[in-house]
Amino acid sequence: MKKKVIASILAGVLALGMLTGCGGGSASSSSDSGASSETSAEGTEGETASDSEGGANVTLIMSSRDEFLSTLEAGALSAAEEAGISLTTQDAQNDQSKLLQYVETAKNNGNDAVIINLVDADAADAAVEAAGDMKVVFVNRRPSDAGILNENVVYVGSDEMQSGGYQGEYLAKYFNDQKKTDISYLLLKGTEGLVHTEQRTESVLKGLEDGGINAQEASAPLVADYDRATAQDMITPLITTKEYDCIIANNDAMALGAIEALKAANIDPSTIPVVGIDATVDGVQAVENGELYMTVFQDADGQGYGACMAVSNMLQGKAINEGTDFELAEDNEFISWVPFEPVTADNYTDYQ
Amino acid sequence: MSANTKKMISDNMIWGVLVLLIIIMSIGNKNFLSLANFKTLLTGEAIKGVMAFGVAFAILTKGIDLSIGASAALIACVTGALVQSADYSSKILPGVGQFPAVAAILVGLLMGAAIGLIQGSIIAYTMMPAFIATLGGQLVCRAAAKIFTARPVSNLSDGFRFLGSAQIGPLPVIVLVFVVIFALAAFILGQTRFGKSLYAIGGNDQAARVAGINVQRNLVLTYVWCGTLAALAGIMLAGRAGSADPASSGLNYELDAIAAATVGGTSHTGGVCRVSGVLCGVLIMGVINNGLVLLGVDDNFTNIIKGVIIVVTVAFDMKKNTKKA
Repeated sequence: MKKKVIASILAGVLALGMLTGCGGGSASSSSDSGASSETSAEGTEGETASDSEGGANVTLIMSSRDEFLSTLEAGALSAAEEAGISLTTQDAQNDQSKLLQYVETAKNNGNDAVIINLVDADAADAAVEAAGDMKVVFVNRRPSDAGILNENVVYVGSDEMQSGGYQGEYLAKYFNDQKKTDISYLLLKGTEGLVHTEQRTESVLKGLEDGGINAQEASAPLVADYDRATAQDMITPLITTKEYDCIIANNDAMALGAIEALKAANIDPSTIPVVGIDATVDGVQAVENGELYMTVFQDADGQGYGACMAVSNMLQGKAINEGTDFELAEDNEFISWVPFEPVTADNYTDYQ
Repeated sequence: MSANTKKMISDNMIWGVLVLLIIIMSIGNKNFLSLANFKTLLTGEAIKGVMAFGVAFAILTKGIDLSIGASAALIACVTGALVQSADYSSKILPGVGQFPAVAAILVGLLMGAAIGLIQGSIIAYTMMPAFIATLGGQLVCRAAAKIFTARPVSNLSDGFRFLGSAQIGPLPVIVLVFVVIFALAAFILGQTRFGKSLYAIGGNDQAARVAGINVQRNLVLTYVWCGTLAALAGIMLAGRAGSADPASSGLNYELDAIAAATVGGTSHTGGVCRVSGVLCGVLIMGVINNGLVLLGVDDNFTNIIKGVIIVVTVAFDMKKNTKKA
């Protein structure tokens, strides 16, 4: 009886071995240098690594696997193919400790560089430390301490001062066309304490001011944590009781929540300018329907592409934006900005 | 085979599984069997490992502790806030000076013990299922962490980070802590009256009571132990990452710790637990986590393999233990 049990356990382990063997099989097809065996793009990620004759080994570590970051991953894979880099992706499942473990494992595996989408922007230095001699590219989520950036540690992302800036610019033009200079607004803020929440808010207000608009907030700030339902609940009592000329949201989900609230109160959303950021599928759809006046596209694919190109450039000792359309930050050559793009009724078809 | 040999084999079967896994991984990727990688593996599992030694005690008494991941996060945030450098402009507690690391760690451990004391008392004196009591504890602790701070707690003093990120020679301190806790758990369970009482309570709490064991007091102590280790894990977590996040720190760690304890042969029907087995369970989880990454296996498959291993080992365990009864 016991023997049977032993046998079945062994069989189970062997089956597992075969399963892992399959994973390893497609991985080892690309190890050619002999200096270090390597992991590479596997199954779902396609055949990016098959031609990496002497190419670099890089691991992309994402904070989680959502729609945006999957698009970012696709961008990185296309750059990897172009640059002859063998790229593997890992999902840290929102666990900074797990992220560090993946960085160390990449180092142990002889990788040349890691691309890191931080779980916690405050914990970038531990990641740099864990990376040892590997090059590090932070992507999308910016380390809160810019002091850690240098020729071996760079950042590729989008300048959030630009995203809100486009909202402000658009609204300023809208009100200037109506010869209105004093307006009031309702503002749906994302999660407090996040850098991009503050920058999106600051830059939209600055954009309005720069456009010659004197804007007043019609209520206390509404912190809806980037959530659609929360935004809808918070704004519902205000839309029929407050005087306001427009609704500004830090992202599309909250803008859409506001639009739902307007509809529920029998207000035609096309009569009030509502603006968002992200250009999500639903957001662009709402622009097409004339409900959302504008949104701002964050180029996930471009960020992934830019990050992987930065790796390739760093390994060759070139400027990190070489071979891309992206610009370096004015005050820091170790930051490459992937531009935001405004999406309005005039150009929404480009983003569908 | 004599009955003794059979028993020895069945008790140590789990180590065979570990060795097999190591062989498979090292054939798949030769970087697996390097010293540096072994260090990475242990460093990565140490935090959940410490939690596993805690929750194994609860499981031994037919209980469970679902609150440990969340309480680790709460304590990571609170102790982290106490040791933020004094000149850091966005301190969580601006009015409070910087605590010495040892004091902050003591505060954290006491908080963990207190959380365990509350939960243990509820479980022991109301006979509420531990699953429910600690599920409530999990929700409360996670929410408390988020109330305490909305943003990550960073800029922690080096002294505080010692447990999580320092090295003594080639040895990471975090691994040392793990080993010390292993030894302590083995001592408590094997050599003390408290440990022997837990086996008795887990085996049959009525019989234990009749035999003169104070079941309730021992149950409370079990959850104090578990809560204190969760606090230690939280302090290690903040030290390792250099930052504590109220929302994401320690998220679902309790499940990994329970899985490691379970794979290590701790029986959920109570009365069966070997600390060496839990150690082996932690290592098996580590080998799977680390090895499959090196093999380039998609992380979704990694979780499928982990799930299968947990279910298969427990199925085997159930069979073994029911036959005994």
